[in-house]
Amino acid sequence: MLLLQLLINGIQLGALYALTAGGFSLIFGATRIFHFAHGAAFMIAGYAFYEIYDKLHLPWYLALIVSALVTVAFGVLLDRLVYTPIKRHENSFFTLFAGAFGVGIIVQNMIGFFFGRGFVAISTPLSKGVPLLPGLYVSPLAGIAVVVALLAFFGLHAFLSRSHTGMALRALADSPELVRAYGMSPQKLSQTAFALGSLLVVPAAILSGASAGLNPSVGSHVMLISLAATIVGGVGSLRGAAFAGLLLGLAESLALAWFSSQWSEAVVFVVLFLFILFRPSGFFGRALVH
Amino acid sequence: MFAYLLNLSVLICVNAILAMTLNFLMGYAGIFSLAHAVFFGVGAYTAAFVSMHFSDSLFVCTAAAMIISGALSLALALPALRVRGEYFVAASLGLQMLAVTVFSEWRSVTGGLGGITNIPAVKVFGVPIETANGFFALGVGYLIAVALIIVVLLRSSFGRNLQAIRDSESAAYALGKNVSAIKTLSVVVSAALASSAGVVYTFYLSFINVEGFTLDLSVLLMAMVIIGGTGSLLGPIVGAALLMLLPAGLSFVPGLPQAEVGLVQQAVYGLVMVLLMIYRPGGIVGGGSRKLAASAAVKGAR
Repeated sequence: MLLLQLLINGIQLGALYALTAGGFSLIFGATRIFHFAHGAAFMIAGYAFYEIYDKLHLPWYLALIVSALVTVAFGVLLDRLVYTPIKRHENSFFTLFAGAFGVGIIVQNMIGFFFGRGFVAISTPLSKGVPLLPGLYVSPLAGIAVVVALLAFFGLHAFLSRSHTGMALRALADSPELVRAYGMSPQKLSQTAFALGSLLVVPAAILSGASAGLNPSVGSHVMLISLAATIVGGVGSLRGAAFAGLLLGLAESLALAWFSSQWSEAVVFVVLFLFILFRPSGFFGRALVH
Repeated sequence: MFAYLLNLSVLICVNAILAMTLNFLMGYAGIFSLAHAVFFGVGAYTAAFVSMHFSDSLFVCTAAAMIISGALSLALALPALRVRGEYFVAASLGLQMLAVTVFSEWRSVTGGLGGITNIPAVKVFGVPIETANGFFALGVGYLIAVALIIVVLLRSSFGRNLQAIRDSESAAYALGKNVSAIKTLSVVVSAALASSAGVVYTFYLSFINVEGFTLDLSVLLMAMVIIGGTGSLLGPIVGAALLMLLPAGLSFVPGLPQAEVGLVQQAVYGLVMVLLMIYRPGGIVGGGSRKLAASAAVKGAR
């Protein structure tokens, strides 16, 4: 029964990881920007929802819309005001990474400044566990997380494979020059990638704010997990990121059956480390180009 | 006030050693490690363990710290040989997170979350170092020693090979350089030297716990190197001094609540990092661009 409970918790956690990892993977795959501030977008989404829903007592759909708008604006503005100038000046992995890291630090500390360093939780009756079987508690949030993740991934998959913009986004990953030659703007496409990628973290942030709570350092934890999932799944593969996010969530949760909870995060990083050593291209990734 | 400045100077020396050794990897070998605090921690824990169980001689403690840290750094060298760029950063991050878990859970050696207290005074030729002045001398001495070792290494054929690999791995390989051995050696040297900072830190505070060796420090060290200027000898020292003095400076700004100083400081680091990446990716000491700084460093080492 314990294992079943951990399995269900793991699926819920995995669905949330899959959403954030999907966003990171989409951005990284299309623009090659190591968007370390993705965790910051997660925090902004979660805290914006908390502020409007819990503090101002406005209806949840309003909070959801505002949270989504703020997060998307953050992603797009970051691309325009930070990444683009850095790219123009000196386009290297390292400068972009350091810039993103700086933004992550700023956001984490601003949130600590305004909301305090402790945990806050988005209060909702949905997070309360319902006994399904004797000794097995499942909250409606778990179901919501899985459904939202599935919808998001099917929607995104359809968008990337059917729509014109989606195809252009995939082309951008392969060759920005060719995209330009076909009369499309890599700049605009890059912003689209940031908007979509940031949008994906909104449900993840809100759901984890309701189930586990938020604190200013949650963002970097989430960021590390989505980074791990992107690499384990294979860079540039949305399917891989989703699958690996689920896998890491399960690993983190199931590890509790054998190790104490302090080791659960370490388990994720052992998985990551082994993947980088033995299969750097991940599950679904293309062969690694040096 | 003098005691405060002396305390700050010792900590600047410790951080400058760390930043310099990290710069050895980042600026000269092209390896961007987010696990540098691990080797600082390994050095600190080893020194504490050795001094409590075997010998309180500074030389024994330092040698033990350097050997263990150098040996453990092979765990970092392994991914450095297999992957580059984002992948390596991710691997080093994984290592950092693992190390923090080990530091906080291996209670018999590291004392768990509570850390190790009552570390005995360290002795140099039988004379114990106890005063702040003594530790200042020790810190400066180690800093100079590490700087000299790095300068000598960079001027040797090893250093030139290293920079050749950073600029083009394939070209170095084509010239018959043993890329794997050179990279591995650079990681081992950097980790071993970084552990010496851990030794100074341990005996200076006579108390260590896992808080001092987390990802935050690794990031801070990276910030010191970036802000000071990668690929220059003086850059990391300037960066370390600047980032250590910033908290001190900010605590004198009127109207800032004392409890929030840490948060504001961190946010300022972040802001400085972003602005530098946009306007001056070579850092303060480095040239206008990282490539310029790198080529200047190559010229300087010739």
